[in-house]
Amino acid sequence: MVTRVITIVGFVIVILALFVLEYLGRRKDNRIPTLGEWLGFVMRPWAGRFLILLGWLWLGWHYFSR
Amino acid sequence: MAADNVPQRPDQPPGQPRSPGRRFTAKKLVIGTGLVAYSWFAASTEPFTRDALLIVLVPGAVIGFLAYGRPPARIPPPQSLDITGFSYWALTIAILFEWEAAAFKDNSQWWHPALTDLVDPMLGSHPVKALAILIWLLAGWGLVRR
Repeated sequence: MVTRVITIVGFVIVILALFVLEYLGRRKDNRIPTLGEWLGFVMRPWAGRFLILLGWLWLGWHYFSR
Repeated sequence: MAADNVPQRPDQPPGQPRSPGRRFTAKKLVIGTGLVAYSWFAASTEPFTRDALLIVLVPGAVIGFLAYGRPPARIPPPQSLDITGFSYWALTIAILFEWEAAAFKDNSQWWHPALTDLVDPMLGSHPVKALAILIWLLAGWGLVRR
């Protein structure tokens, strides 16, 4: 039971950390890019764009189709 | 400036106020309603069925067409990224993947569930699944604009 709780808390902490990074990135004079900024940067080349969109499609398939 | 008096839309009668905002809002409202209706419908499909596959493949095809066939006006990406700043994202995502991989490696036992095992029960609720699909669709649109 304790191990399960630790696992769930671990997921919650990491996901919360992603939101905190987004919040920090939106503040002025910050070195941390927002999610949209670094995704935009990664998606500049054709391959990056393709892989990110493929990841988006995979997420939809993984959670909604199966 | 000399061009200040030139109407931007020649078909518009002089003196008539333009209402691009209203038209834009109406268009957004129609698209938004369509997306909500689609999400609600898509959430009613049973997993592992042809319909469940189609509700993902159809938006995928639309997003693919928009991304490569008719790309919308994109938000300009930054010319460079601060490596230190980006490393925080990379590290956090790597930890998330590692945490997930640890569960996957252990065949996702009850005592170390994978993220999917935690999310799937929540998606059993129709409104929650519809909301998740709506967020997924909006994320796809957001990605196309990047």
